[in-house]
Formats: sequence, C-alpha cells, structure tokens
Amino acid sequence: VKKSPRQNLLFRHEFALLVVVAIEWIGFNAATARFGTLDNNFDILRHSVEIGLLALAMTPIILTGGIDLSVGSLLGLCAILFGKLWRDAGLSPAAAGVCTLAIGAAGGGLNAVLITGLRLPPLIVTLGTYSLFRGLAEAITRGADTFTNFPASFLFLGQERWLGCPTQAWIFFPTAAAVWLLVHRTTFGRSFRAIGFSPEGACYAGLPVNRRLLGVYVLAGLVAALAAIIYTARLGQAKADAGTGYELFAITAVVLGGTSIFGGIGSVHGTLLGVAAIAILNNGLVHLRQPREAAGMLTGALLLLALTGSVAPKLWEAWRAHRRSRPPLPVRSP
Amino acid sequence: MSRYFRELSVGAALLLVLATLAIIAPGFYQPQPLLSLATREAPTLVVACGMALVIICRQIDISVGSQFAVCSVCAGLLAAQNWPTALVAVAAIAIGALLGAINGALVAGMRLPSIVVTLATMVTWREALRWQRQGAFVNLPDRVQWFGLSQSTGQWLLVAVALVVLGTLGLALRGLAAGRFLYAVGSDAEAARLAGIRPRQVTFQSFVALGALTGLAAMMNVAQSPQVDPKSGTGLELKAIAAVVVGGVAISGGRGTLWGVLVGLLLLACVAPALTHLHIEAYWEKAIQGGIILLAVVADGIRSRKGRM
Repeated sequence: VKKSPRQNLLFRHEFALLVVVAIEWIGFNAATARFGTLDNNFDILRHSVEIGLLALAMTPIILTGGIDLSVGSLLGLCAILFGKLWRDAGLSPAAAGVCTLAIGAAGGGLNAVLITGLRLPPLIVTLGTYSLFRGLAEAITRGADTFTNFPASFLFLGQERWLGCPTQAWIFFPTAAAVWLLVHRTTFGRSFRAIGFSPEGACYAGLPVNRRLLGVYVLAGLVAALAAIIYTARLGQAKADAGTGYELFAITAVVLGGTSIFGGIGSVHGTLLGVAAIAILNNGLVHLRQPREAAGMLTGALLLLALTGSVAPKLWEAWRAHRRSRPPLPVRSP
Repeated sequence: MSRYFRELSVGAALLLVLATLAIIAPGFYQPQPLLSLATREAPTLVVACGMALVIICRQIDISVGSQFAVCSVCAGLLAAQNWPTALVAVAAIAIGALLGAINGALVAGMRLPSIVVTLATMVTWREALRWQRQGAFVNLPDRVQWFGLSQSTGQWLLVAVALVVLGTLGLALRGLAAGRFLYAVGSDAEAARLAGIRPRQVTFQSFVALGALTGLAAMMNVAQSPQVDPKSGTGLELKAIAAVVVGGVAISGGRGTLWGVLVGLLLLACVAPALTHLHIEAYWEKAIQGGIILLAVVADGIRSRKGRM
C-alpha cells in the first residue's frame, strides 16, 4: 500500500523524535556514570508515569482541537480526596481508589458539560476549573493538611517492583495500549480527527460530536484520578499542591510528539516518545548536577522549538505559494 | 440597557457584596485598609487593562505573571545599581514590551495559538528567573519605596496612575482608530483584513502593549516594598484574566469595555477581605475565584444561546 504524503511526514516526525530520544539517552549515558544503569532507567519510568498518563489523556483532547488546562489541578484534588477518604472516612485504599476514580470522572464531566452543553471554549472553561479544583484542594486541606502513613500494601503500587518492573508500569503500559487502540484502531479515534479538522463537517457527516467530546473530557478526568492515586503511592503522601504545572508537561509531550495543536493530526506513539524525551532530559540533567530549574526552562524552550518547527514547513509553503501566485506586473502596451 | 447588561449586572453583584459587608461587617469600611487594598490591586488593574486589549483581539496571554516577575527583578537590580527611579521605570516598561514582543512575534508572525505559546514562555521565563536568582530577594535602596514620598502620598499616587492608565486606554478603545481596530480584528480577522486593517500587526501590537503595561505594573509593585520577591506575580495571569472575563469581555474576542474590567476586578478584589470579615477561612479564595470565572462564562454561554434562538 502506498502511503500518502501526510502519513509519510508523520512517520518522519516520529522517527526524528525517536532519533532525538536515542541521542539524548546515549549522550547522557556517555557523560555520566550512573545514568545507563537498569535501576536508573526504572527510576525514569517510575517518575514519568503520572505525566505520561496525563499526556495520554490529553492526546485525544488535542486531536479534537480542544485543550484541558485543569488536569494538574484535578490530580491535586483527587490526591487529597483519596487521602481524605482513606484516613477520615476509613475506607480501604482499594475502595478509596474506586471513589477517587469516580470523582475524577465527575471533574472531567464538569468540564465536558460546560464545553458541550453551553458551547463554551475549552480553554476558558478549563482555566476556570484549573483555579476551582486547586482552590477546592487548598480549602479542604486548609493549605497545610498532609496525608501520610499509607499502608505498605498501597505503597507497593508506587515504590516497589512486581515481576521485575516498577509496579505502576503494569498500569501505564496497558493504559497506553488501550488509548493507542482507541485512537488508531477504532471509529472513535477517527471521529476525534474528523472533529479536530472541522466540527461542523463532522456534524454534517452524522457524527455525534457532543457525545464524542463528552467522552474525551470524562476520560481525561478519569485518567487524572488514576494518575493521582499512583502519584500518592509513589511519594507516600498527598498534599494540595500535588501535580502543580503537570498540565504544561502533558501538553508539551503531546505537541512534541507531533500532534497538531489545531487538532486533526497526531498519534499516541508520538506522545509516548514526547514523554520519554522530557523524562530523559529531566533525569539526565539531575545526573549532570544541573539544578531542577534548568530542566523546567529547557522543557519550555523545547515546547517553543517544537511548535515553531511544526509550523515552519507550512509557513514556507504558504510563502512560496504566495510568491508564485503573485500576478505578473502589468505590461504597458506600446 | 441591553448593551451594557453585563457591566451593570456585575456592578449590581458588587453593590450587593458591599451592602452585605456594610450590614454584617461595617469594620470593612475604614479609610486606611481600603486605601491599602486599592494600592495592592492597582498593579493588577494595569495588567488587567492590557489583558483586556489582548482578549478583545481574540488572543490570550498567560505568561504575564512571569513577565511581571522578570520586570520586577530587573527593576530591582537596576535600582540597586543606583539608577534614578524614573529611568528604572522606563527600563522596566521597555523590558516588558520586549517580552511581549516575543510572544507577539510567535503568535502573529508564526501564527501559533497564543495559549500554547504563552504557556511555554510562562514556564521558560519563570524557571530561568528561578535558576538565575535561586530564590534570593533583591534589596532596594530607601529612595525607591513609595518613590521617596510619604507612604500615603505614594499609595494615592499608585492608585492614580492605575486609574489614569484605565481612563486613557478606555477612551482610546472607544475613540481612536487603533482601539476600533482591536475590536474589528477580534470580531472577524478576515473581514478586518478586507477592510484594510492588518490583523497580524494589530495582534502583535496588542501583545507589546500588554508587555509594556506589565512592566509598568511591575514597577508599581516594586515601589510598594523594600525588597523584590523573585516569586512575585505568581497567579497574576489568572487574576487578570478572571477580572477581564468577569467584567464582560468576551473570550471569543471583539466585545467588552474597560469599565467592565474595573468592576470585575473590584468584585474579585473584595472576595478576600469579605471572607476575612465574614469569618470564612481564606483558603476558599481561589476556589471562589474559580467559581466566579465559571459563573461568568456560563452566564455568557446562556445569553448567547438565547440570542441565537
């Protein structure tokens, strides 16, 4: 089967990103002693699971041309509600986890209802809930309450290994596979792209646009709750500031992975590579004894670079087309 | 009436809050605390005015908090080098305009979505500043605080500067061609282009104006304390956007007034002192502000829905 030029280009983008990730890894491995060890690579995996989950959930949203700025705040709210349910309501971690997932889905549902029901722009709705969720988390804990002393059986989820791999990886990779199948091998994924290219077009084609959008935002809330549970298990504590700024990392990973911020184009494996690129950069800089701020700054710069890189060919094409289409100078007849 | 429905309804909400406070907590109305409150909110008002320009132009800038911090620290460092205060203010405004121009060039020149561009610049400037300063405060010479005037004169001066900025920009938006261009581009960029306006140039200029106003606001903030906190301005973008949205500026561009922004900011600014006086814990402030933003956009959504039917 011959591939269309666009598929070819996509392939090139993800392949280029794979090369970047490989170069990063090899470079850090050569420069520092401990970077290449299996322990450290498991460490990178452990630390990137939460942002990876958020980025996975963000991919369908950005594919539909939307955005969700509230996932980091929702993670914080879910983390402290999980702690509250476990410590103050006396639920077992498993029961508290199920309730937390329901709360996350409800939080995503709030976004979804406002966006689809009232046709408000996702940007401003999720900016409002970004403030609301974080504010609720601060109000519930009064800014100071911290939940700790979780049972070892729960911390196993975030800090131990199961069958040789970090436990949370056994949650992360099946989730990634499920999202990949959803986006790339079902009609749902196809409808996300159609909505991203043109919501009206998708509507006229008979797609249930509102139901699909409802689905992606609820999914994002659900995944944010899952990430909150894993975050709590990894750190062994839940605080109101959990996940501050994670929405930025998630969006960066998605855009770095080749998903167009205008919607319609993108892939889940690109997002996974984007997450890997950011996680390796963060970990490698720590091994080079650079301060944490350097990694944050480079992530921001990386996002800008990826954005400009993604539109540069289009701009160049547009400019050339503009030059070609310029009408010839009028010739004065003698 | 219907044209200024939004401004009037927010004004009514503000009056309701003030009346409630007058009955339940008359202690709120004391001249000195009110002046302090106005002084604290003056820089936010200046930033919110700039934000209104950008949002009317159908863009958004969430990096203003980081720009504010960069301008504050630069102004502090220059003042510590014994630059005269007026020159420091000019430098702060110039640095702000430069940072705004970077955003503007990326948004208008490269046609990138402003939310992602400013998300990236927000984190880049903030982390670069943290890396550079490592959380160290900048100590200012005495003559900078309140511009070397007495405290109450300085406070009145800052409030006056903010109101002059608001008034000038408000009149310019109404009366000058440049102001009408913003509404035209925000309503429909293509139609504006066909009418002979250059939409990308207007967008770029709105970002530069916001940057310059952020620099001015940073200077107004520096003049209020003997030290500059490198973390200053955290969350400023949300405050400014909240004031603008609550004040009735449509996030989809092309609609809104600066008077509405003033009323919106006053309403949000009253939340924190009102909470204290009503004996509600201050931790609810952020949640209530988020709730007010959502309420405002929901009201917009319902109204525009009615308008369509």
